[in-house]
Amino acid sequence: MIDVAGILMQNILYVILITLGGVLISWSVHFVPVGGAPAAMAQATGIGTGTVQLAAGAGLTGLVTAGAMMQITNNAALVIASGAVGAMIMMSVTMIVGTWVYAYGVGCPPASAKVKYDPITKDRQDLYVSQGTEGHGLPTVSYVSGVIGGALGGVGGSLVYYALMSIENGLPLADLVGIASVFAVGIFFVNAVIPSYNIGGTIEGFHDPKFKRFPKAVLASLIATFFCALISVLSIGGL
Amino acid sequence: MEPLTGMGVLALMGAAATIAGASEDLESDVGSQSNPNSQVQLAPQMMYPHRIYNKAVSGEPPSNALMCAIGGTTATVLMNTGASAALALVIGAIVAAAIHGTYSVTSYFGRSASQKRFKQPIYLDIIRSHTPVIMGYAFITTFCILVVSYLMVTAMAHPFSLPLLAFIWGITVGAIGSSTGDVHYGAEREFQAVEFGSGLNAANSGNIVRKAESGLRNGIDNSWFCAKFGGPVTGLAFGMTVFLSGWVTAVFDASRGDAIGWVSVLAGVIIVLILILWNRNIEVAARAAYGTYKEDEAEAEVAA
Repeated sequence: MIDVAGILMQNILYVILITLGGVLISWSVHFVPVGGAPAAMAQATGIGTGTVQLAAGAGLTGLVTAGAMMQITNNAALVIASGAVGAMIMMSVTMIVGTWVYAYGVGCPPASAKVKYDPITKDRQDLYVSQGTEGHGLPTVSYVSGVIGGALGGVGGSLVYYALMSIENGLPLADLVGIASVFAVGIFFVNAVIPSYNIGGTIEGFHDPKFKRFPKAVLASLIATFFCALISVLSIGGL
Repeated sequence: MEPLTGMGVLALMGAAATIAGASEDLESDVGSQSNPNSQVQLAPQMMYPHRIYNKAVSGEPPSNALMCAIGGTTATVLMNTGASAALALVIGAIVAAAIHGTYSVTSYFGRSASQKRFKQPIYLDIIRSHTPVIMGYAFITTFCILVVSYLMVTAMAHPFSLPLLAFIWGITVGAIGSSTGDVHYGAEREFQAVEFGSGLNAANSGNIVRKAESGLRNGIDNSWFCAKFGGPVTGLAFGMTVFLSGWVTAVFDASRGDAIGWVSVLAGVIIVLILILWNRNIEVAARAAYGTYKEDEAEAEVAA
C-alpha cells in the first residue's frame, strides 16, 4: 500500500515548485504574440499560428536544453536558466524568420493595430496598418514580448522538470527521466491550453488589452497544476 | 565529448534540421494544412470551388509530433531487436509516412465531401498525384527529425528517449513551419491576384487564386512557388533553433564547471539580443521602403 500522506509530506516542496512552474507557463503564454489563422494571411499582428502550439514549441525546446543541462549539473538555477535560454532562442529565431517572410515575402511592414505608438520604439503604428486588416508582422514591442514569453515558459517548464526529477523514488535514472519528462510535457500542455480561452485566437503581447485578463488564467492554472502536481508526485514518489 | 567532435555532430544535426524544416513546410503547402487552409476550406462556401488538395489532419505541430513519435517508436523497437540504426530510422520514417498518407486521404475525402452542397468536387487524380508527394515530404521530415534525435541520444548522450525527443522536435518543427513558411503560402501565394504588399483585406477572404501559371492551380503548383522562399526559410529557422540551442552548450560546456555553464546562458542571451536588434533593423527598413497605407489625418487637415 502506498503511503499517500507520507509521500506528499515528504515532497511538499516539489508540489509547490511544480505548481509555481505551471503558473509561470500560464502567465508566459499571454506574452507570446500570436495571430492564429488571420496572422497567417497577414490580417493580424503576431505570429501566424495557434497559442498552444507556439508556446509548446518554445517551452519544449527549453525542456530539451534543461534536460541536457540537468544531466551534467545539480545547480537548479543553471538548469532553469538553460531552459529559459533554449525557449528564448526558439522563439526569437521563429519571430525573426517570420519577420523575413512578412517583409520580403508578403511586402507588409510590421504594424500593431492595438496601439497608436509602439511603447518601446515610439514609432507610429496606425498609418502602417493596411486597409481591412488588424495589423501584420511583428513590431518591436511584440517581438520583445515574445522573447519574455519564451523565457518565462522555459523557466516554468524547466522548474516543473527539475522538481519532478528531484522527487525521492526508487526508480533507475533512465526510467525516472522517462516518466518525469512525459509528466513535464503533459503539465506544459495543460498550462498552455488554459490561457488560450483568455486570448481567443489573437494577442499582440503585453501591450494588448487582452493581456490584463491574465490573473483569471493564472488562478485556473494554479488549481489545475496543483492537482497535476499531486498526481505526478504520488506516481513518481510511489514507485 | 571532444569539443571538435561535438561541433561536428551539431553541424550534422543543424543540416538535418534544415532539411526537415524545409520539407515540413512544403508538405503543408502541397496538402494545404494549418492556418492558410482556412481559406481553402472557406473558398467553396464563398462559391469559389477549387482543385487544391484540402487536408488539415490537425494543427501542424500535433500532426508532425504524431508522425515523428510513430517513427521514433518504430525505430527504437527495431533497434532493440538488433536492427542497424540506418535501417531502423528509414523503416520508422516509412511507417510514419504511410500513416500520414492515410490521414491525408481520409481528411481530403471528408473535407471535400462535406462541401458537396457548395458544388466542390472530389478530384481522384488530385489524390493520386498529391498523396505520394505528401508522403514523400513526410518521409523526409520524419527521417531528418529521427536523425537529429538519434544523434542527440547517442552522440550527445541526451537523457530523453528517442521517441520523446522525436515527439518534441516534431512539435517544434510544426510550430516553426506554421509560424514562418505558411505565411508565405497563406498571405502571398493564395492571394497573388492582390497587389504585392497591399495587405489582405478581410473582405477578400475565401477569394483565393484558383488559376495556375498553366491550367487550374493545385497543391503541387503551390509547393513549387513556396519552395522558392517559404520552404527554405522555414528550414533555416528550424536549423537555427536546433543548432543555436545546442551550440551555446557545446562551445561553453557546463560539464567543465558551473561558471562555464553560466557563460553558455550569457551567450544565449546575447544571441537573442542580436536577433531583437535585427528585427528592429528590418522593421525600420520595411517602413521606409513600403511607406504608409494612409495619410495622417491631422497633417492632411493642416495641409488643406
